[in-house]
Amino acid sequence: MLEKILVLLCLPSALAQHLCTPGASDGYKVRLSIKTALGDQAYVWNENEMFLFRATLAFAMRTHFNGQMYNVSNIVVCDETPRVSFWFVVTSPLDTSTLVDRKDVEEAVRKSRNRINSAFLLTDKTLEFIGIAPTLAAPVYPDPPPWLIVFGVVMGAVGAGIIILLVTSVLQKKRKKNEKSEGEDDEEDTRVKTVENGTASDGVYNMSFSDDERFTKM
Amino acid sequence: MEKEARPSWDNPLQFVLACVSYAVGLGNVWRFPYLCQMHGGGGFLIPYFIMLILEGIPLFYLELAIGQKMRLGSIGAWTAISPYLGGVGLASVVTSLYLCLYYNVINAWSFWYLFHSFQSVLPWADCPINSNRTGFIEECETATSTQYFFYRQTLDISSSIEENGGIHTGQALCLLLAWGITYMFIVRGVKSTGKVVYFTSTFPYVVLFIYLIRGVTLHGAINGVIYMFTPKMEQLANPTTWINAATQIFFSLGLGFGTLIAFASYNQYNNNFERQAIVVSLINSGTSIFASIVTFAIYGFKATVNYENCLERTRLLLLNTFSLAEDSITVDSLSSWIDRLNTTYPEQFAELTNKLEDCNLERELDTAVEGTGLAFIVYSEAIKNMPLSQLWSVLYFFMLLLLGMGSMLGNVTAIITPLRDFKLVSNMSNELLNGLVCVFCLLLGLGFTTTSGNYWFTMFNDYGANFSLLFIVLIEVISVSYIYGIKRFEKDIEDMLGYRPNWYWKITWAGISPLLLITLFIVYIVNYIQGGTPTYQAWNKELVSCDVKSLVVIS
Repeated sequence: MLEKILVLLCLPSALAQHLCTPGASDGYKVRLSIKTALGDQAYVWNENEMFLFRATLAFAMRTHFNGQMYNVSNIVVCDETPRVSFWFVVTSPLDTSTLVDRKDVEEAVRKSRNRINSAFLLTDKTLEFIGIAPTLAAPVYPDPPPWLIVFGVVMGAVGAGIIILLVTSVLQKKRKKNEKSEGEDDEEDTRVKTVENGTASDGVYNMSFSDDERFTKM
Repeated sequence: MEKEARPSWDNPLQFVLACVSYAVGLGNVWRFPYLCQMHGGGGFLIPYFIMLILEGIPLFYLELAIGQKMRLGSIGAWTAISPYLGGVGLASVVTSLYLCLYYNVINAWSFWYLFHSFQSVLPWADCPINSNRTGFIEECETATSTQYFFYRQTLDISSSIEENGGIHTGQALCLLLAWGITYMFIVRGVKSTGKVVYFTSTFPYVVLFIYLIRGVTLHGAINGVIYMFTPKMEQLANPTTWINAATQIFFSLGLGFGTLIAFASYNQYNNNFERQAIVVSLINSGTSIFASIVTFAIYGFKATVNYENCLERTRLLLLNTFSLAEDSITVDSLSSWIDRLNTTYPEQFAELTNKLEDCNLERELDTAVEGTGLAFIVYSEAIKNMPLSQLWSVLYFFMLLLLGMGSMLGNVTAIITPLRDFKLVSNMSNELLNGLVCVFCLLLGLGFTTTSGNYWFTMFNDYGANFSLLFIVLIEVISVSYIYGIKRFEKDIEDMLGYRPNWYWKITWAGISPLLLITLFIVYIVNYIQGGTPTYQAWNKELVSCDVKSLVVIS
């Protein structure tokens, strides 16, 4: 009696085991790189870890198909290697001899990928589902782009610098003009006289003499 | 009528620093290391220094003497030597104008990279993600992220020079900024330029020094320095080595643009320019060598990083294919494992052969790059792998900016000084004339910010000035030596300095330099004729590589 019950219990899992083969059409290969990810704090891969994996995957299937009661026994694993890679297939909870379609498995994994990764302290790169591309984080584009802000600062400084330089040179020119117009009357007469003489005048020129000359010529 | 006294430098140091700032430019950083690598490493220094002594320093001295004596820009100075030679000055101005048009675009790129360095992750470090978020953009995957950033995001390059697109607004803004800063630095002529060169000539050395320390402490940098400085003396037998050394000295000192004449025209009449000419030329060459040490260290680092990544990828490939435990293969035991796996699983291994890369450190080191590719792609790739990459990026592009700006100041001065000598223009205020020149160059320069702009840039860079400069300087040295006469020139120098130039100067001016220049000239023409239709490298978006296209001159 007992043997019959044992055989009956083992039968489903034994039946299911043959469904999992490397290269199965509805199965996926998983590869873990624990030492690369965690280095010294890497944990050893053993039966318990495998149990956790099957449980996490069952969780992912449950989350995706709301209502269907997936169990650890529905996740069948085979072809384990020392690399820590293996194949798995998912059997349907209603009928353990049929497999869940590959696309559904992919979607379920995709949805809960983050949870699966964190259960093992791994990332998309170190816990690979061969054939399921990871959904990368959406790029954050801050608006306005940061380079424009720095550009604005520098451009503003340059613009201010140019305006300051132009304004100061205009003011300097105005100041020079005012100074010149004050000293111009004195300069003009001496300049005219120097040209007439042809030589540089030494001494202070007395203008009253030149007026006298004109009168005497007459 | 009183004539305004010619403006002058506040002190001779400003003049020296202005010459240094002008001569030490981007070519010292991106052309000399390439030549050094291609022509036998340390051995290249021999032809380089010989050419410096035979050709570089004498021609530099010549231009300074002309400028200081005539106290006019290039057109006025040459017209004073002989009225028929005014065309030489005009040619210099036109060449400087070409250079001004496209050179500031490099500064615009430096600004672009500088501003983009103020981010938590450098934008050229990772590829952007594609639209359905499953991976990276394909163009970026096939090329590298630094190449993608340069060709697609900085330039938005089209696939050939005929395909025009719109102006890249970011580039146009950066070009506007570059011209704004140039204007600010030259707005008052020598008075403002003289103060600016204190900074533009000295700060690049500070950065180079910092980079030297950082560079030689990088992992694998020593590989680069040793590999590239090891002299390969057999290269000295190759005439191209000597031609390239002569050409590099020639272009590096910036002869023939009229800048040196313009700078020297603002000197005091008795300024001792002989000593200054030697000092500036030596500083220029010394900086080239200094910059190459830094560049080779960076190359060594980049090559080592690529090599180790290659080894790591091979290791992963073997682990994954043969499903071995993660710690079984280490990078050191890689080669022995490859042999072992080849013998134990020959069929499986045979499937791998096309995926298995051949990791070779020497081949990584052998990739020689020059020009904008070195400055913007190779260096930014090395920088992204350094810790604290934002800091290094900012420092590096700031240095490139200063080098570029220093040379720009010289080139714009070379245009403005001769223009000011014309009576028509001398009534215009300084600020207005400078502003007009800058706006004119800015508007024309916008053409280089279009999608095919980089190809136009390459055309200008490779063909715009080289031939004309050789010709100009050849005419310069022949006219001074034979038309003006060495005797008269000697007397002028004695008038300025108080003693005559010795036999070394006279021999080089009258004999050696003209012969060297004629040789370069002939070699250039022969190469041009033999080369057939000139070609340029175009970025092919589909293949994501550079293919060579022919430059058909539009007639």
